[in-house]
Amino acid sequence: MKIVDRILKSINTIPAFPETGNKVAQLLRKPDYSVNEVANVIKYDPSITANILKMANSAYFGPRHKITNINDAVVYLGQQNLLRAIQTAGVSKYYKKGASGYFDRVTDLWEHSVAVALMSQIISRKITGQEDTTLYTAALLHDVGKIIMGEFVRDSLTKIAELVSSKNISFLEAEEIILGINHADLGGKIATYWKFPAEIRDAISFHHRPDLLEKEEKTMPWIVYIADQFCLMLGVGGGVDGLSYRAVSEVLPKFNLRMKDLEMSMVLLSDDLNHAKELISII
Amino acid sequence: MSDLIVGISDIKVSNNPADVIITYALGSCIAIIVYDPLVKVGGLLHYMLPESALDQNKAGVNPEMFADTGIPILFKTCYKLGAEKKRMIVKAAGGASILDDTNFFRIGQKNIMAMRKIFWKNNVLIDKEDTGLNYNRTVRLEISTGKVFVRSSGGEMKEL
Repeated sequence: MKIVDRILKSINTIPAFPETGNKVAQLLRKPDYSVNEVANVIKYDPSITANILKMANSAYFGPRHKITNINDAVVYLGQQNLLRAIQTAGVSKYYKKGASGYFDRVTDLWEHSVAVALMSQIISRKITGQEDTTLYTAALLHDVGKIIMGEFVRDSLTKIAELVSSKNISFLEAEEIILGINHADLGGKIATYWKFPAEIRDAISFHHRPDLLEKEEKTMPWIVYIADQFCLMLGVGGGVDGLSYRAVSEVLPKFNLRMKDLEMSMVLLSDDLNHAKELISII
Repeated sequence: MSDLIVGISDIKVSNNPADVIITYALGSCIAIIVYDPLVKVGGLLHYMLPESALDQNKAGVNPEMFADTGIPILFKTCYKLGAEKKRMIVKAAGGASILDDTNFFRIGQKNIMAMRKIFWKNNVLIDKEDTGLNYNRTVRLEISTGKVFVRSSGGEMKEL
Protein backbone atom coordinates (compact mmCIF):
# COMPACT_ATOMS: atom_id res chain seq x y z
CA MET A 1 0.00 0.00 0.00
CA LYS A 2 1.25 3.53 -0.77
CA ILE A 3 2.21 5.62 2.28
CA VAL A 4 -0.57 8.13 1.65
CA ASP A 5 -3.16 5.35 1.61
CA ARG A 6 -1.84 3.99 4.89
CA ILE A 7 -2.06 7.48 6.38
CA LEU A 8 -5.64 7.99 5.16
CA LYS A 9 -6.66 4.57 6.38
CA SER A 10 -5.43 5.43 9.90
CA ILE A 11 -8.14 8.11 10.18
CA ASN A 12 -10.71 5.35 10.73
CA THR A 13 -8.84 4.17 13.84
CA ILE A 14 -9.51 7.47 15.65
CA PRO A 15 -12.45 7.26 18.08
CA ALA A 16 -15.49 9.41 17.33
CA PHE A 17 -15.44 12.96 18.71
CA PRO A 18 -17.49 13.38 21.92
CA GLU A 19 -20.99 14.70 21.23
CA THR A 20 -21.06 16.68 24.47
CA GLY A 21 -19.94 19.98 22.92
CA ASN A 22 -22.57 19.87 20.15
CA LYS A 23 -25.33 18.82 22.50
CA VAL A 24 -24.55 21.61 24.94
CA ALA A 25 -24.29 24.14 22.11
CA GLN A 26 -27.76 23.08 20.89
CA LEU A 27 -29.23 23.38 24.38
CA LEU A 28 -27.73 26.82 24.89
CA ARG A 29 -29.43 28.02 21.70
CA LYS A 30 -32.83 27.33 23.24
CA PRO A 31 -34.17 30.48 24.94
CA ASP A 32 -35.49 28.51 27.94
CA TYR A 33 -32.68 26.08 28.73
CA SER A 34 -32.07 25.19 32.37
CA VAL A 35 -28.76 24.82 34.14
CA ASN A 36 -29.80 21.33 35.19
CA GLU A 37 -30.38 20.20 31.60
CA VAL A 38 -26.92 21.45 30.59
CA ALA A 39 -25.25 19.89 33.62
CA ASN A 40 -26.90 16.54 32.93
CA VAL A 41 -25.53 16.42 29.39
CA ILE A 42 -22.04 17.15 30.69
CA LYS A 43 -22.23 14.64 33.56
CA TYR A 44 -22.88 11.93 31.02
CA ASP A 45 -19.18 12.16 30.09
CA PRO A 46 -17.10 11.58 33.25
CA SER A 47 -13.72 12.55 31.79
CA ILE A 48 -15.11 15.85 30.48
CA THR A 49 -16.81 16.47 33.83
CA ALA A 50 -13.57 16.06 35.78
CA ASN A 51 -11.65 18.30 33.39
CA ILE A 52 -14.29 21.02 33.41
CA LEU A 53 -14.13 21.28 37.18
CA LYS A 54 -10.35 21.53 36.98
CA MET A 55 -10.54 24.21 34.29
CA ALA A 56 -13.32 26.17 35.97
CA ASN A 57 -10.99 26.54 38.95
CA SER A 58 -8.03 27.70 36.86
CA ALA A 59 -6.67 31.22 37.05
CA TYR A 60 -7.55 31.70 33.37
CA PHE A 61 -11.27 31.60 34.18
CA GLY A 62 -10.52 33.14 37.57
CA PRO A 63 -13.20 32.04 40.06
CA ARG A 64 -13.30 33.77 43.46
CA HIS A 65 -14.28 30.65 45.34
CA LYS A 66 -13.72 26.99 44.62
CA ILE A 67 -16.20 25.41 42.20
CA THR A 68 -17.00 21.86 43.26
CA ASN A 69 -19.92 20.75 41.08
CA ILE A 70 -20.95 20.95 37.44
CA ASN A 71 -24.08 23.03 38.08
CA ASP A 72 -21.94 25.75 39.66
CA ALA A 73 -19.40 25.48 36.83
CA VAL A 74 -22.17 25.99 34.23
CA VAL A 75 -23.43 29.09 36.01
CA TYR A 76 -20.01 30.49 36.77
CA LEU A 77 -18.34 29.94 33.41
CA GLY A 78 -21.16 31.34 31.27
CA GLN A 79 -22.02 30.16 27.77
CA GLN A 80 -18.84 30.99 25.87
CA ASN A 81 -16.37 29.78 28.45
CA LEU A 82 -18.41 26.67 29.11
CA LEU A 83 -18.30 25.66 25.45
CA ARG A 84 -14.59 26.38 25.33
CA ALA A 85 -13.95 24.30 28.45
CA ILE A 86 -15.98 21.39 27.01
CA GLN A 87 -14.11 21.49 23.70
CA THR A 88 -10.73 21.72 25.46
CA ALA A 89 -11.62 18.74 27.65
CA GLY A 90 -12.95 16.79 24.64
CA VAL A 91 -9.94 17.43 22.41
CA SER A 92 -7.36 16.73 25.11
CA LYS A 93 -7.85 12.96 25.08
CA TYR A 94 -6.68 12.68 21.46
CA TYR A 95 -3.48 14.50 22.33
CA LYS A 96 -2.49 12.31 25.28
CA LYS A 97 -0.04 10.30 23.22
CA GLY A 98 1.40 13.43 21.64
CA ALA A 99 2.88 13.23 18.16
CA SER A 100 6.27 11.61 18.46
CA GLY A 101 8.12 12.11 15.22
CA TYR A 102 7.44 15.85 15.48
CA PHE A 103 8.10 16.45 19.17
CA ASP A 104 10.55 15.47 21.91
CA ARG A 105 7.99 15.52 24.70
CA VAL A 106 4.52 13.96 24.79
CA THR A 107 2.97 17.18 26.09
CA ASP A 108 4.47 19.50 23.44
CA LEU A 109 1.64 19.18 20.90
CA TRP A 110 -1.01 19.84 23.54
CA GLU A 111 0.85 22.85 24.95
CA HIS A 112 1.22 24.27 21.47
CA SER A 113 -2.47 23.65 20.66
CA VAL A 114 -3.73 25.36 23.82
CA ALA A 115 -1.37 28.29 23.21
CA VAL A 116 -2.64 28.72 19.62
CA ALA A 117 -6.25 28.56 20.87
CA LEU A 118 -5.57 31.28 23.47
CA MET A 119 -3.66 33.38 20.92
CA SER A 120 -6.54 33.05 18.40
CA GLN A 121 -8.81 34.82 20.92
CA ILE A 122 -6.26 37.61 21.50
CA ILE A 123 -5.98 38.21 17.73
CA SER A 124 -9.76 37.93 17.29
CA ARG A 125 -10.32 40.61 19.95
CA LYS A 126 -7.80 42.82 18.16
CA ILE A 127 -9.31 42.33 14.67
CA THR A 128 -13.06 41.93 15.31
CA GLY A 129 -13.44 43.28 18.84
CA GLN A 130 -14.76 39.97 20.18
CA GLU A 131 -13.88 36.39 21.03
CA ASP A 132 -15.18 33.46 19.01
CA THR A 133 -15.83 29.95 20.32
CA THR A 134 -15.80 28.27 16.89
CA LEU A 135 -12.44 29.88 16.15
CA TYR A 136 -11.19 28.63 19.52
CA THR A 137 -12.11 25.04 18.59
CA ALA A 138 -10.52 25.35 15.15
CA ALA A 139 -7.32 26.72 16.67
CA LEU A 140 -7.23 23.98 19.29
CA LEU A 141 -7.51 21.39 16.51
CA HIS A 142 -5.29 23.02 13.86
CA ASP A 143 -2.49 20.44 14.21
CA VAL A 144 -4.72 17.39 14.77
CA GLY A 145 -3.25 15.84 11.60
CA LYS A 146 0.05 15.47 13.45
CA ILE A 147 -1.37 12.81 15.79
CA ILE A 148 -1.48 10.48 12.78
CA MET A 149 1.35 11.95 10.71
CA GLY A 150 3.86 11.69 13.57
CA GLU A 151 4.96 8.10 13.03
CA PHE A 152 5.16 8.54 9.24
CA VAL A 153 7.19 11.73 9.61
CA ARG A 154 9.54 9.93 12.00
CA ASP A 155 10.18 7.15 9.47
CA SER A 156 10.93 9.63 6.66
CA LEU A 157 12.48 12.44 8.69
CA THR A 158 15.88 12.27 6.98
CA LYS A 159 14.33 12.68 3.54
CA ILE A 160 12.00 15.46 4.69
CA ALA A 161 14.76 17.34 6.52
CA GLU A 162 17.04 17.07 3.48
CA LEU A 163 14.43 18.69 1.24
CA VAL A 164 13.74 21.44 3.76
CA SER A 165 17.39 22.34 4.29
CA SER A 166 18.59 22.09 0.70
CA LYS A 167 15.87 23.53 -1.47
CA ASN A 168 13.97 26.31 0.28
CA ILE A 169 11.01 24.00 0.62
CA SER A 170 8.69 24.39 3.61
CA PHE A 171 8.14 21.48 5.99
CA LEU A 172 4.52 21.33 4.80
CA GLU A 173 5.55 21.01 1.15
CA ALA A 174 8.18 18.42 2.04
CA GLU A 175 5.57 16.30 3.85
CA GLU A 176 3.46 16.37 0.72
CA ILE A 177 6.36 15.48 -1.59
CA ILE A 178 7.63 12.60 0.56
CA LEU A 179 4.44 11.27 2.16
CA GLY A 180 1.80 12.30 -0.38
CA ILE A 181 -0.17 14.48 2.04
CA ASN A 182 0.61 17.24 4.56
CA HIS A 183 -0.50 17.45 8.19
CA ALA A 184 -2.88 20.38 7.53
CA ASP A 185 -4.84 18.57 4.78
CA LEU A 186 -4.89 15.42 6.88
CA GLY A 187 -6.23 17.43 9.83
CA GLY A 188 -9.03 18.74 7.60
CA LYS A 189 -9.95 15.17 6.72
CA ILE A 190 -10.04 14.22 10.40
CA ALA A 191 -12.36 17.20 11.03
CA THR A 192 -14.66 15.94 8.26
CA TYR A 193 -14.58 12.43 9.75
CA TRP A 194 -15.58 13.98 13.09
CA LYS A 195 -18.41 15.89 11.31
CA PHE A 196 -17.15 19.34 12.24
CA PRO A 197 -18.60 22.25 10.21
CA ALA A 198 -16.86 23.33 6.99
CA GLU A 199 -15.42 26.52 8.48
CA ILE A 200 -13.51 24.54 11.13
CA ARG A 201 -12.37 22.05 8.48
CA ASP A 202 -11.10 24.85 6.22
CA ALA A 203 -9.34 26.64 9.08
CA ILE A 204 -7.45 23.41 9.82
CA SER A 205 -6.68 22.51 6.19
CA PHE A 206 -5.43 26.00 5.33
CA HIS A 207 -3.73 26.99 8.59
CA HIS A 208 -0.34 27.31 6.91
CA ARG A 209 -1.60 28.73 3.60
CA PRO A 210 -4.77 30.76 4.17
CA ASP A 211 -3.97 32.56 0.90
CA LEU A 212 -4.76 29.36 -1.05
CA LEU A 213 -8.35 29.17 0.23
CA GLU A 214 -10.68 30.53 -2.41
CA LYS A 215 -13.29 31.73 0.06
CA GLU A 216 -11.26 34.84 0.70
CA GLU A 217 -13.79 36.52 2.97
CA LYS A 218 -13.28 33.86 5.63
CA THR A 219 -11.13 35.22 8.44
CA MET A 220 -10.86 32.06 10.54
CA PRO A 221 -8.00 30.36 8.64
CA TRP A 222 -6.05 33.63 8.68
CA ILE A 223 -6.40 34.12 12.42
CA VAL A 224 -5.39 30.51 13.08
CA TYR A 225 -2.43 31.09 10.77
CA ILE A 226 -1.25 34.19 12.65
CA ALA A 227 -1.81 32.57 16.05
CA ASP A 228 0.15 29.47 14.99
CA GLN A 229 3.08 31.41 13.53
CA PHE A 230 3.41 33.49 16.67
CA CYS A 231 3.35 30.49 18.97
CA LEU A 232 6.04 28.90 16.78
CA MET A 233 8.10 32.07 17.04
CA LEU A 234 7.60 32.13 20.78
CA GLY A 235 8.87 28.54 20.83
CA VAL A 236 5.73 27.14 22.52
CA GLY A 237 5.68 23.47 21.58
CA GLY A 238 8.07 23.78 18.66
CA GLY A 239 9.03 20.49 17.00
CA VAL A 240 11.29 19.09 14.28
CA ASP A 241 9.50 21.29 11.76
CA GLY A 242 10.72 24.34 13.70
CA LEU A 243 9.82 27.56 11.91
CA SER A 244 10.18 26.05 8.43
CA TYR A 245 6.90 27.43 7.12
CA ARG A 246 6.11 30.07 4.55
CA ALA A 247 5.42 33.63 5.53
CA VAL A 248 2.18 34.79 3.87
CA SER A 249 2.82 38.46 3.35
CA GLU A 250 -0.80 39.57 2.72
CA VAL A 251 -1.75 38.95 6.31
CA LEU A 252 -0.73 42.27 7.90
CA PRO A 253 -2.34 44.66 5.37
CA LYS A 254 -5.40 42.39 5.10
CA PHE A 255 -6.29 43.03 8.74
CA ASN A 256 -4.63 46.40 9.01
CA LEU A 257 -2.22 45.06 11.61
CA ARG A 258 1.06 46.68 12.52
CA MET A 259 4.11 44.83 13.75
CA LYS A 260 3.58 46.53 17.08
CA ASP A 261 0.10 44.98 17.42
CA LEU A 262 1.58 41.54 16.95
CA GLU A 263 4.39 42.13 19.45
CA MET A 264 1.74 43.29 21.92
CA SER A 265 -0.22 40.08 21.26
CA MET A 266 2.86 38.10 22.27
CA VAL A 267 3.01 40.00 25.56
CA LEU A 268 -0.69 39.24 26.18
CA LEU A 269 -0.19 35.59 25.27
CA SER A 270 2.61 35.13 27.76
CA ASP A 271 0.25 36.44 30.47
CA ASP A 272 -2.53 34.09 29.34
CA LEU A 273 -0.14 31.14 29.33
CA ASN A 274 0.85 31.85 32.91
CA HIS A 275 -2.82 31.71 33.88
CA ALA A 276 -3.61 28.64 31.79
CA LYS A 277 -1.46 26.03 33.50
CA GLU A 278 -4.56 23.96 34.37
CA LEU A 279 -5.67 23.88 30.75
CA ILE A 280 -2.28 22.54 29.80
CA SER A 281 -2.04 20.11 32.70
CA ILE A 282 -5.30 18.26 31.98
CA ILE A 283 -3.55 15.70 29.82
CA MET B 1 23.69 18.34 39.87
CA SER B 2 20.65 20.52 39.61
CA ASP B 3 19.06 21.97 36.50
CA LEU B 4 17.96 25.56 36.66
CA ILE B 5 15.27 26.05 34.02
CA VAL B 6 14.90 29.47 32.44
CA GLY B 7 11.38 30.20 31.12
CA ILE B 8 10.38 32.75 28.49
CA SER B 9 11.16 36.29 29.76
CA ASP B 10 13.26 34.94 32.59
CA ILE B 11 16.84 35.00 33.97
CA LYS B 12 18.84 32.54 36.04
CA VAL B 13 22.30 33.28 37.47
CA SER B 14 24.49 30.95 39.54
CA ASN B 15 27.91 30.46 41.08
CA ASN B 16 27.24 26.90 42.19
CA PRO B 17 29.51 24.56 40.18
CA ALA B 18 26.89 21.80 40.46
CA ASP B 19 24.33 23.85 38.51
CA VAL B 20 23.42 23.63 34.84
CA ILE B 21 21.29 26.45 33.48
CA ILE B 22 18.93 25.39 30.68
CA THR B 23 16.41 27.08 28.45
CA TYR B 24 14.16 25.09 26.12
CA ALA B 25 12.47 25.99 22.88
CA LEU B 26 13.97 29.23 21.72
CA GLY B 27 12.14 30.26 18.57
CA SER B 28 12.49 33.93 17.69
CA CYS B 29 13.43 34.64 21.28
CA ILE B 30 17.11 34.94 22.20
CA ALA B 31 19.22 33.44 24.95
CA ILE B 32 22.17 35.55 26.12
CA ILE B 33 24.68 33.46 28.01
CA VAL B 34 27.42 35.13 30.10
CA TYR B 35 30.24 33.55 32.12
CA ASP B 36 33.17 34.76 34.17
CA PRO B 37 35.74 31.92 34.18
CA LEU B 38 37.75 33.31 37.12
CA VAL B 39 34.96 33.33 39.69
CA LYS B 40 32.87 30.73 37.82
CA VAL B 41 29.73 32.85 37.75
CA GLY B 42 27.34 32.38 34.87
CA GLY B 43 23.89 33.46 33.80
CA LEU B 44 21.31 33.05 31.08
CA LEU B 45 18.62 35.48 29.92
CA HIS B 46 15.76 34.35 27.66
CA TYR B 47 14.15 37.48 26.22
CA MET B 48 11.16 37.65 23.93
CA LEU B 49 11.10 41.08 22.28
CA PRO B 50 13.61 43.80 21.38
CA GLU B 51 12.37 46.98 23.03
CA SER B 52 10.69 47.83 26.31
CA ALA B 53 9.15 50.93 24.69
CA LEU B 54 6.40 48.57 23.47
CA ASP B 55 4.90 48.33 26.96
CA GLN B 56 6.60 50.26 29.77
CA ASN B 57 4.29 48.83 32.44
CA LYS B 58 5.12 45.31 31.43
CA ALA B 59 8.83 46.16 31.35
CA GLY B 60 8.50 47.43 34.93
CA VAL B 61 7.00 44.17 36.15
CA ASN B 62 8.93 41.78 33.91
CA PRO B 63 12.06 43.51 32.55
CA GLU B 64 13.45 40.13 31.41
CA MET B 65 10.90 40.19 28.57
CA PHE B 66 12.85 42.77 26.54
CA ALA B 67 16.44 42.94 25.31
CA ASP B 68 17.06 46.52 26.41
CA THR B 69 15.85 45.98 29.98
CA GLY B 70 16.84 42.31 30.39
CA ILE B 71 20.50 42.41 29.29
CA PRO B 72 21.57 45.02 31.91
CA ILE B 73 19.88 42.96 34.65
CA LEU B 74 21.74 39.83 33.52
CA PHE B 75 25.10 41.60 33.82
CA LYS B 76 24.28 43.34 37.11
CA THR B 77 23.09 40.10 38.72
CA CYS B 78 26.39 38.45 37.76
CA TYR B 79 28.38 41.42 39.15
CA LYS B 80 26.69 40.87 42.52
CA LEU B 81 28.21 37.39 42.59
CA GLY B 82 31.67 38.76 41.87
CA ALA B 83 31.80 38.62 38.09
CA GLU B 84 33.58 41.43 36.26
CA LYS B 85 32.63 42.81 32.87
CA LYS B 86 36.14 42.63 31.43
CA ARG B 87 36.40 38.89 32.08
CA MET B 88 32.91 37.94 30.99
CA ILE B 89 32.44 35.68 27.98
CA VAL B 90 29.26 36.46 26.07
CA LYS B 91 27.39 34.05 23.81
CA ALA B 92 24.01 34.20 22.12
CA ALA B 93 21.59 31.75 20.54
CA GLY B 94 18.11 31.92 19.00
CA GLY B 95 16.44 34.61 16.91
CA ALA B 96 15.02 32.15 14.37
CA SER B 97 12.58 33.27 11.69
CA ILE B 98 9.95 31.70 9.48
CA LEU B 99 10.85 31.06 5.83
CA ASP B 100 11.22 33.84 3.24
CA ASP B 101 10.92 36.34 6.00
CA THR B 102 10.55 39.73 4.34
CA ASN B 103 9.20 42.83 6.04
CA PHE B 104 6.87 41.29 8.51
CA PHE B 105 7.02 38.69 11.26
CA ARG B 106 10.59 39.92 11.67
CA ILE B 107 10.82 39.41 15.38
CA GLY B 108 13.79 37.03 15.16
CA GLN B 109 15.80 39.53 13.11
CA LYS B 110 14.75 42.46 15.31
CA ASN B 111 15.82 40.52 18.40
CA ILE B 112 19.27 39.89 16.87
CA MET B 113 19.67 43.55 15.89
CA ALA B 114 18.61 44.71 19.36
CA MET B 115 21.23 42.62 21.12
CA ARG B 116 24.01 43.69 18.71
CA LYS B 117 23.13 47.34 19.22
CA ILE B 118 23.19 47.05 23.01
CA PHE B 119 26.52 45.18 23.07
CA TRP B 120 28.09 47.58 20.58
CA LYS B 121 27.05 50.61 22.63
CA ASN B 122 28.49 49.03 25.77
CA ASN B 123 31.75 47.83 24.21
CA VAL B 124 30.92 44.18 24.73
CA LEU B 125 32.07 41.63 22.17
CA ILE B 126 29.93 38.61 21.43
CA ASP B 127 32.33 35.66 21.56
CA LYS B 128 30.14 33.07 19.88
CA GLU B 129 26.66 33.07 18.45
CA ASP B 130 24.25 30.66 16.82
CA THR B 131 21.41 32.85 15.63
CA GLY B 132 18.91 33.18 12.79
CA LEU B 133 17.78 30.41 10.39
CA ASN B 134 14.50 28.63 11.02
CA TYR B 135 14.75 26.04 13.76
CA ASN B 136 14.20 25.92 17.51
CA ARG B 137 17.10 25.74 19.93
CA THR B 138 17.71 24.45 23.44
CA VAL B 139 20.67 25.94 25.33
CA ARG B 140 22.66 24.61 28.33
CA LEU B 141 25.31 26.38 30.38
CA GLU B 142 27.50 24.37 32.76
CA ILE B 143 28.56 26.56 35.68
CA SER B 144 31.56 24.36 36.57
CA THR B 145 33.20 24.72 33.12
CA GLY B 146 31.41 27.61 31.42
CA LYS B 147 30.74 25.36 28.47
CA VAL B 148 27.65 26.21 26.43
CA PHE B 149 25.78 23.63 24.40
CA VAL B 150 23.11 24.28 21.79
CA ARG B 151 20.72 21.70 20.39
CA SER B 152 18.59 22.46 17.35
CA SER B 153 15.15 20.85 17.03
CA GLY B 154 15.62 17.20 16.16
CA GLY B 155 19.42 17.61 16.05
CA GLU B 156 22.30 16.86 18.38
CA MET B 157 23.81 18.84 21.24
CA LYS B 158 26.80 20.88 19.99
CA GLU B 159 29.22 23.04 21.93
CA LEU B 160 28.98 26.75 21.14
